[in-house]
Amino acid sequence: MIEFSDVGLRYGNGPEILTDLSFSIEPGSFHFLTGPSGSGKTSLLRLLLLSLKPSRGKVTMFGEDVGELTQDHLLQLRRHIGIVFQEFRLLDHLTTFENVALPLRVLGQPESEYRPNVTELLEWVGLGERMHALPTVLSGGEKQRAAIARAVIARPKVLLADEPTGNVDPELSSRLVHLFAELNRTLGMTIILATHELPLLDRFPYPRMVLNKGELSIHD
Amino acid sequence: MTKSLLARLPQWLPHWLPLPRHGGAAPIVPEKSVAGRTLLLLVTIMSFLSAVTLGGVVLVQKSAIAWSADVGRELTIQIRPVEGEVMESNLRTAVSLAQATPGVSGAHALTIEESQRLLEPWLGAGLDLSAIAIPRLVVVQLADPVDADIATLERNLGAINGASLDTHAAWRQQLNTMAGTVVLSGLLVLGLIGVATVLAIVFATRGAMASNREIVDVLHFIGASNKFIAGEFQGRFLSIGLQGGLLGAVLGTLFFTLIGAAAGSVLPSEATAQVGVLFGQFVLGLDGMIFVALIVPAMAVLTAVTSRVTVRRYLSEAS
Repeated sequence: MIEFSDVGLRYGNGPEILTDLSFSIEPGSFHFLTGPSGSGKTSLLRLLLLSLKPSRGKVTMFGEDVGELTQDHLLQLRRHIGIVFQEFRLLDHLTTFENVALPLRVLGQPESEYRPNVTELLEWVGLGERMHALPTVLSGGEKQRAAIARAVIARPKVLLADEPTGNVDPELSSRLVHLFAELNRTLGMTIILATHELPLLDRFPYPRMVLNKGELSIHD
Repeated sequence: MTKSLLARLPQWLPHWLPLPRHGGAAPIVPEKSVAGRTLLLLVTIMSFLSAVTLGGVVLVQKSAIAWSADVGRELTIQIRPVEGEVMESNLRTAVSLAQATPGVSGAHALTIEESQRLLEPWLGAGLDLSAIAIPRLVVVQLADPVDADIATLERNLGAINGASLDTHAAWRQQLNTMAGTVVLSGLLVLGLIGVATVLAIVFATRGAMASNREIVDVLHFIGASNKFIAGEFQGRFLSIGLQGGLLGAVLGTLFFTLIGAAAGSVLPSEATAQVGVLFGQFVLGLDGMIFVALIVPAMAVLTAVTSRVTVRRYLSEAS
């Protein structure tokens, strides 16, 4: 599904942030991406999100060589990828329901079509009672669950999460990772979850992609 | 029925028009995040200026056509006093020759009193011209300026010593040149108003994009195309353009109504008559109203298209 081959990334004429990354991710797998701050986790996630192109090497996603694709084609591929951010990035002027429905609006679905699905998903993540609330009145955990619901509502094949537990307490962190695990198990979504909370990783049996100074090692 | 019609609208509308979307869903670009009031005021002012300029151009154009038509339907025969010639006899001959010319509907010689009134602005009132030999005029009305045989009349008048024919061609030429200059200047002003409006919308759009950067990023991350994002911003600007255009056009129409009423009541009747000769009666008429009304869609389209192009360019630069 995802294959990196000797991938390097640098911004402008600066030093390489990511060096010689070679790995493959199988469909339906769950990986933690970890490493110290500044090790390049967010840059690797941006490569996976197709918002950056590698400076060298080859990235293949869903069988397509990313370097060869046009902007329109990249956009089509990006619709198979969901993303969750540490800082939630919900739109404050839209309700929880409208935030979660946003990817379907972008795809041109009418509200009558997506309303039952969005409502069902919000209830599944425990936000059924909060669907008409604005993000400003939600707690950190609720915001992150809304952000996860937004990321998965369009049924992406791959779900990326950039420090999704960074703004919640340890207990809620664990529950959020359980939610990701449930999505992986029930929907078969491929998940790459970036975090630097090592105690959290020990509680789950998933392989770890460890980045250190731009170099990657994978530990099963 | 209405619902199914609305659902089919997207197939009929040009792709750059914002489409009706998602029932009552909140706009993705919040209304308050676009500098709406300032831009609305600016578009209203620009629309008002466009309406006044366009209305002025229409008035001058219509008056010039009316002047030209009036002057073109009249010729003047001038008979200078010549030693040994009898003026009254020459006047009668000139009137007869004119009346016998094809395309002429009537001809009459101005009396001494009428000639005196024509000279009053230069020589003053109460002057007795009977003792002075002054040129006399015969006014010739044409039934059809195109078919009138003016060449024959001019040739026949050669038989009268001291007679000459004035077709007012030079005046008409000057009138047309002046009206053309005013119309051209008006169109130039309209063009400049358009450019100023476009620049203002470009700045407002870029400002709105910068202040909504977070929304744009989120839309990109969830797979929105630049076309979709541009459409969301364009919807806001189209609405502002429509409102501003409508307000400006209404104010412009009010302006002409008020000026027309003021010209009739404030100015003395002679001045009103002269202003009337120059600009008609400050009445835009149906064609003028149509031109002014066209400012509304023109301003809306200008605003929407400019914002769309600016957003697309901004997004291309950003990516």
